Amino acid sequence: MSTAQLRSNGKVVDRTPFPGKWDNPMGERKKGHRILMVSDFFYPNFGGVENHIYYLSQCLLKLGHKVVVLTHAYGTRTGVRYMTGGLKVYYVPWKPFLMQNTLPTFYGTLPIIRTILIREKISLVHGHQAFSTLCHEALMHARTMGYKVVFTDHSLYGFADVGSIHMNKVLQFTLADVSQAICVSHTSKENTVLRSGLPPEKVFVIPNAVDTAMFKPAPQRPSGNEIIIVVISRLVYRKGADLLVEVIPEVCRLNPNVRFVVGGDGPKRVRLEEMREKHSLQDRVQMLGAVPHARVRSVLISGHIFLNSSLTEAFCIAILEAASCGLLTVSTRVGGVPEVLPDDMILLAKPDPSDMVQAIKKAISILPKIDPQIMHNRMKELYSWHDVARRTEIVYDRALQCPNQSLVGRLSRYLSCGAWAGKLFCLVMIIDFVLWRLLQLWQPAENIEEVPEFTVSHHQN
Amino acid sequence: MDSSIGAGISPTQLRWRKVAYGGMQNGFDDNYTDESFLEDMVTNANVVKRNMLNLMLDSVSISQYLSIIAMVGLVWTYTLTSTLDENSLLLLDISLLGFGFLVLLLTEEMLSFNLLFRYVLNISFFMTGLYVLAPIYYTLTRSISSDSIWAVTIGLLLLHLFLHDYSRSTIKVAGAVHNPSLTSCISLNASVVASVFVASRLPSRLQVFGLMLFSLQVFLFAPLVTYSIKRYSFCLHIWFSLGLMTLTLAFVYTLHCLLFLLLLGLLVFTSLVCPYWLIRIQAYKFEINGPWDEAKLCFDITD
Repeated sequence: MSTAQLRSNGKVVDRTPFPGKWDNPMGERKKGHRILMVSDFFYPNFGGVENHIYYLSQCLLKLGHKVVVLTHAYGTRTGVRYMTGGLKVYYVPWKPFLMQNTLPTFYGTLPIIRTILIREKISLVHGHQAFSTLCHEALMHARTMGYKVVFTDHSLYGFADVGSIHMNKVLQFTLADVSQAICVSHTSKENTVLRSGLPPEKVFVIPNAVDTAMFKPAPQRPSGNEIIIVVISRLVYRKGADLLVEVIPEVCRLNPNVRFVVGGDGPKRVRLEEMREKHSLQDRVQMLGAVPHARVRSVLISGHIFLNSSLTEAFCIAILEAASCGLLTVSTRVGGVPEVLPDDMILLAKPDPSDMVQAIKKAISILPKIDPQIMHNRMKELYSWHDVARRTEIVYDRALQCPNQSLVGRLSRYLSCGAWAGKLFCLVMIIDFVLWRLLQLWQPAENIEEVPEFTVSHHQN
Repeated sequence: MDSSIGAGISPTQLRWRKVAYGGMQNGFDDNYTDESFLEDMVTNANVVKRNMLNLMLDSVSISQYLSIIAMVGLVWTYTLTSTLDENSLLLLDISLLGFGFLVLLLTEEMLSFNLLFRYVLNISFFMTGLYVLAPIYYTLTRSISSDSIWAVTIGLLLLHLFLHDYSRSTIKVAGAVHNPSLTSCISLNASVVASVFVASRLPSRLQVFGLMLFSLQVFLFAPLVTYSIKRYSFCLHIWFSLGLMTLTLAFVYTLHCLLFLLLLGLLVFTSLVCPYWLIRIQAYKFEINGPWDEAKLCFDITD
């Protein structure tokens, strides 16, 4: 079934996109999926979501799927770029307006997303991160055009304040019609199910992973009887910078041989520097400022203990990176953090200074028993992006098995989202549908050139 | 990788665990939902059970302030219609000032002579300033029609009532910890502007001064005085408020029957209907807490 056939049909049918017949060089699989990853967050911006998309895409490419990433323009970086392994990235010329998010226009992105979907013969759209407006819009258009969509939620959200109530409504709108959803931890799954009202069996838990090859422990552990505690995080309220202000002087007072290395920048940096002055700890607390991701390993391996003081965290990749470098982790017991590592690799504390000081004390006492190399080898077994990709593949298969739904069936699902919001959501979807039909008349699908296939030689092992 | 993990786990350990590490758990899909799903969720943990009587008693503060504002409206009307001349207006000012000080003296245990002296000094500065400025106020809105002034004044008063901080005193009491919030500042400013507008419609400078002084006394200090009474004795507060409400209703009745009904309706609404309503909608309360919430810091951040 091609797009032309569809158009000649003339009836309102949801188009089932045609999965590409793209044979894997290894011949393991008859058909690979053709996946479009959508998020406002992608390289050159840096963070957990960006990392996740990149590594997942790389591993999916190796599994023989085709992956295309869609994000907004970063500075002068617009247009199409290719990354390692033939990963194609579309930087849509759509400027971010707030915290790397594009201005929500609802329909502004429909033409370009439709063109990309058709050009790349996409079979499945995978959106990332609830904050991303581009992701919400793309998923909406993709659903209108009859594609199967998968959504990954990378963050936790409360239910109490005005901001999160509105955010939850938006998420409910997107998730009302999503084929399958993925969360990064079990806590995140509970949160997402509550926020969106999705049936729990539609929500998969697939954690992040860490590139253990990149985060290897130092061949020689920093010697001397000094113990170095490393903190790498943005210095903001949500990452618990205020906890650090209380914990660091106390730990320094109790343990004369402890030094701190704090990497990261943010509005709370001033407070940390004030604390350093106040307790005259200039020679024991080193502030590095923002640490580029490429240098994170070199900072991590200079220490023995990694301290994470987040107040909320869906997963926390930083802990994985630290553990992979052989550091013992001390962390606050928040969100999905308790699920991340086995109990003997992490010490958890309540997010209050005295409990954290206790945990650090305990960490220092068990430190001699920790062998970074063993820790690293264990991490290799516990986490791998290939495993994440394989598990995501299952979700894609499930999503594609979902039955197609008529517009009316989908509208009824939106209508149940709320007394007012439900009607609003329906209206938004109907307009999107009408615009899509108009666009089909104005710019028929067969006039859109499809990209030629090209395969890069994979480094399959 | 799964197999390597599976090999390490003994068959007895094939229980689902709430962990993210170690790949897909043997025998369980990624969308497996355990019985323990959402068991850490807590609903309505911080909900306070309210009862009707307490709510009604609490709402007395609001009714009391409503009647104070109604009183101010009455004085404005009487002055504008010249029922109240300059001398009686000034007399009213002085007696109000005296009453206010008396209440503060009697209720505040820590009121020293020094503090009182400071209050008196401040008030005399304030009055001098007001007296000097009176001629400016007097001609301020000459070119604007009375209707517009009344419309704006009523609008400002409504804004004042809407944003007023009924729970504590608007101006900072000596030694109070909390600074007034933005909304209560806006509310106070709205009331001051409203009094300037009304005063500017008066025929003589002395009247302008008298009325401005009266309005500012009420808007600035009435919350402080009523708050002091309430803190001193809740019983006294209730009786004082009831007396004030009755008095206001009586005065309004002599002015206009319809206004009386309106005020009566408003008072009944705030002290009977609203508490009942609040208790009714309490049933819809659904608060969710769980491990996904942002942790609260157990200490104050001093910036």
